Amino acid sequence: MIDFGYTLTPSSTIEIDDADLSLFDQLCALEPDALKCMSCGSCAASCTAGVFTDVNLRKVLLSLQRGCEKDLLFQLKSCMLCGKCYIVCPRGINTRHLILSICKIYNI
Amino acid sequence: MKRNVLIIGGGPAGIEAARRIRDYGHTPILIEKEARLGGHLAKWHKLFPDGESTEEVLTALTSDMEGIKWFTDTAIVSINRLKHLYVAIFSNGITVQADAILFATGFSLFPAEKKEEYGYGIYNNVVTNADLEHFFNTGNDPRIKDPKVIGFVHCVGSRDEKAGNRQCSKVCCATAVKQACEMKERYPDASIYCFYMDLRMFGRKYEDLYLNAQRKYGIFFVRGRVSEVSEDIEGRLVVKAEDTLAGKPLRITMDLLVLMAGMSPCIENPEIASMTGIHMGEDGFFMPRDLMLRPVESHSKGIFLAGAVTGPKTIPETLNEARAAAMAIDNYFKQKAE
Amino acid sequence: MRERFISGFDHFVLPFMLGMIFVLVWCAVGLIKVMVQIERKDRIKVYKSLINPKIMGKNIRDWFCDCLFHVKLWKRNKVLGYMHSSIAFGWFMLIVIGHIETFLYIPERGGLFYYPIFFRYFMAVESTTLRGSLLFFLMDFFLLVVLSGIILAIIKRFRSKLMGMRRTTKLTLLDRIGLYSLWAIFPLRLIAEGFTAGVGGGSFLTVPVNWVFASILSKPENFTIAWWAYSIALGTFMFVLPFTRYMHIPAEILLIPLKNAGIKVRRPRKGYALAELYSCPSCGVCLDACPMSVDKAGLKNTTVYYVRQVKRRNEPRALAIADKCLMCGKCSVLCPIDISATDLRLALRKRQPYNIGHDFSYLDKLPNGALSSAVSVGGEKVLYYAGCMSSLTPMVSQSVQKVLTTAGIEFTLMDENGTVCCGRPLLLSGRTEEAKALMEKNKEIIRESGAPILLVSCAICYRIFKEDYDLEGIQVIHYTEYFEQLAAEGAIKLNKQKLKYVYHDPCELGRGCGIYDAPRKALTRVGDLVPAGKERKESICCGGSLGSLTLSHEERGRITDHSIRNLTANSPDRIVTACPLCMKTFSRQSEVKVVDFAQVIAENIIE
Repeated sequence: MIDFGYTLTPSSTIEIDDADLSLFDQLCALEPDALKCMSCGSCAASCTAGVFTDVNLRKVLLSLQRGCEKDLLFQLKSCMLCGKCYIVCPRGINTRHLILSICKIYNI
Repeated sequence: MKRNVLIIGGGPAGIEAARRIRDYGHTPILIEKEARLGGHLAKWHKLFPDGESTEEVLTALTSDMEGIKWFTDTAIVSINRLKHLYVAIFSNGITVQADAILFATGFSLFPAEKKEEYGYGIYNNVVTNADLEHFFNTGNDPRIKDPKVIGFVHCVGSRDEKAGNRQCSKVCCATAVKQACEMKERYPDASIYCFYMDLRMFGRKYEDLYLNAQRKYGIFFVRGRVSEVSEDIEGRLVVKAEDTLAGKPLRITMDLLVLMAGMSPCIENPEIASMTGIHMGEDGFFMPRDLMLRPVESHSKGIFLAGAVTGPKTIPETLNEARAAAMAIDNYFKQKAE
Repeated sequence: MRERFISGFDHFVLPFMLGMIFVLVWCAVGLIKVMVQIERKDRIKVYKSLINPKIMGKNIRDWFCDCLFHVKLWKRNKVLGYMHSSIAFGWFMLIVIGHIETFLYIPERGGLFYYPIFFRYFMAVESTTLRGSLLFFLMDFFLLVVLSGIILAIIKRFRSKLMGMRRTTKLTLLDRIGLYSLWAIFPLRLIAEGFTAGVGGGSFLTVPVNWVFASILSKPENFTIAWWAYSIALGTFMFVLPFTRYMHIPAEILLIPLKNAGIKVRRPRKGYALAELYSCPSCGVCLDACPMSVDKAGLKNTTVYYVRQVKRRNEPRALAIADKCLMCGKCSVLCPIDISATDLRLALRKRQPYNIGHDFSYLDKLPNGALSSAVSVGGEKVLYYAGCMSSLTPMVSQSVQKVLTTAGIEFTLMDENGTVCCGRPLLLSGRTEEAKALMEKNKEIIRESGAPILLVSCAICYRIFKEDYDLEGIQVIHYTEYFEQLAAEGAIKLNKQKLKYVYHDPCELGRGCGIYDAPRKALTRVGDLVPAGKERKESICCGGSLGSLTLSHEERGRITDHSIRNLTANSPDRIVTACPLCMKTFSRQSEVKVVDFAQVIAENIIE
């Protein structure tokens, strides 16, 4: 193929139509709390590892919900599993199990 | 035949209901546990959305109390049901026979010190919405000293499973925006930030209030729940939240933090429920017979409910419920007479 | 005394013999399996322990105290203690005396397994001797002891509350067969020996039985059917034994020397773990111990059922139970055979694959001093690690600082500008290697500070600092101990007020590190200490534990309520705890005010 220097690159649009949510469904089966987030940002704001890195559980979860898992999943690598996010979560999401479940199901 | 109606709780719901019940030709007996009538309203300064003075509202409500027996500094000791009557003993020793009881016991303000991470009672310049209204009324609060940066934290003890309150308190968003504007009027040089999860400006003219706050007063709105507050060496507050719209953690140093303590079920609800058999919801508020069709009747015969006792409500909603309850009580007596 | 049969054999012994051989082979294979699966260095440790007189002495003592006399059970519950030790010791003595009899009267049959067991069938008494009647008396006596235990066991099965147990385990079908055959063995023995007591001899128990039979039957000694039944009951018990909870009888004999040699669980169902799994008698003590059993559904997550699922190789179910556990350690502490329930579960958690590897390389770029800030007052140097939870409980670190300042201690806040987690949460999640990265970083920071004392206010952090960090030369101390020490030395002076405190033992501090007394002593200096319903090693987890991975918020809430009810049994004015997580968890739901230990001290300190 001739390289014209540009391609039909995937735009920054979230293509919900094309999103493959089968892994997210698996995640919800393993940890139903994955559906409870109301994006208040408490977890990200109090995150122990967040002092040192960009890790943001709220955004990771949102990206999984939208089928864009490749974007942010790497962030969880820096999580120390300290559990502060569970303590601050106003919805009582079991965040540590959520993170471990994401780590189990998604393979990136 | 004249009938006695015992009204428990001398807030706006209780007062308004007492007046209407009197107008229907019955005898209302109103008791209030605190020293003056008015409930939480009496401690407030101004009301959203138009900044109406609570003093005026209360004066209007209590202007015509003729024919109403009312007692302040009085609580209920016991309530017992006789066949068609209730016998209530008050803490002042008076015993009353009532044909119907109206619970207008309202709500309890969420104790903000329970959210320890916000530092209420620990840091010097953290106050609650109620403290701020008190400050507006008296102009006196040692914690408020010409603040340059002020923060309002919405949903303190509301929408929070960890605080045991899942429900939205309904009035805090509008109150916060109202108070932010008032603070800006007092301290025009201050920068003011509202930290919200969802801004619930649901009522008529509330959106105008919001718009005014943005355009006229220049209040900043940050979508993110404050997660923790610490104190720096100078004693200023370091507030941490995530700016969820920017998608980044946010840190800001402030001189004053106002916690919008929400409405919790009245702390006496479990006791009342066991005394009277009123159903209590999972959230701790009382359950009316039917949320849609019979919102002011309880499951117990002759016991009625009005105001925030069945969930967070604004003042106009509360007053309307008081009127509805008065009507329901009158109907109840009419049916009984037949 | 002479043999009744020249052959010294009857067909009825076959069920017993087959069962016996089966069990012996099974146990031998099991023993070899366990020893092969144990790691080499552990194996050497075991062999060495067997020639160490001190450890061997302990082994022998434990064999007698635990396997035969059930001393631990006695201490907890006299009736249950009697029930177990009467059966175990009584049976043991029946076997021993049976062998003595055989050895004394007919030593040439000593090599036969069945002979001592069925001695009275094969022997006929011609004349009574003092020695003979003494042995017969002892045999009847111990049979009576066992029978009394069996009667208690039957009562317990149907009315466990009478024995002080709220719940008992659900038995499997094989367990039931084992149970009923065990119940049957001794009454059948009594009957069988009763039939032959006329010829074989007997004592105060069997002789009267024989009179009864003799009055009904002309020649009762010909009733071999009773001996058949006795042998079949024994055989059945032996055949099902490896598949039932009664496997704990032989397994515990192996477990005791392994435990005393200091072997730990490394794999979820192999080696030492296997010995532990088979040593579980399904007694159900863990049912009442487990905080999760406040919910009926939670009963299924207790250790006894975990053991059962692992034994059945039901890995998904076992993992679900392992992930639910709060790791509070209460079941292990109360377990009559010390099964290391949390280690077993951790071993399983460790084996779970997680596709996203952790990467803490960002910590390498962090300068060691970046997070700390020093508060200088002069005097002793202390490094204070508040832990990640401290920013959510500002009162704790504020109070600790107040106490230190008042005592005139120079201290550095190790994590004032950000915390590197202690690693305990990762460890509890089975991520041992990942935890090491954090531990290394913290070690660097601690070493570089040069402080001789590391002060910790979080019970969770304290445990890992104490157990897994190797901080030679640096004293790791929990603030409860430190403040009590300061108060005892007179470095801080405290006011005593008329307030009733109840102290909650955080799992990680109490059962985890054995600190029970220091906080209590300090609290009695500032007020009155009232006891909780259950406390010290029996304290009930607050429900907030990081140990559980899957427990939902609602389930935790019910545990918290239960724990609060236990704490407020003597209507205290304040609940005091020494772990920020317990405090956070309790204060959400408690009507009694919950305060941190440091806050109580700071409030009552005389400046």
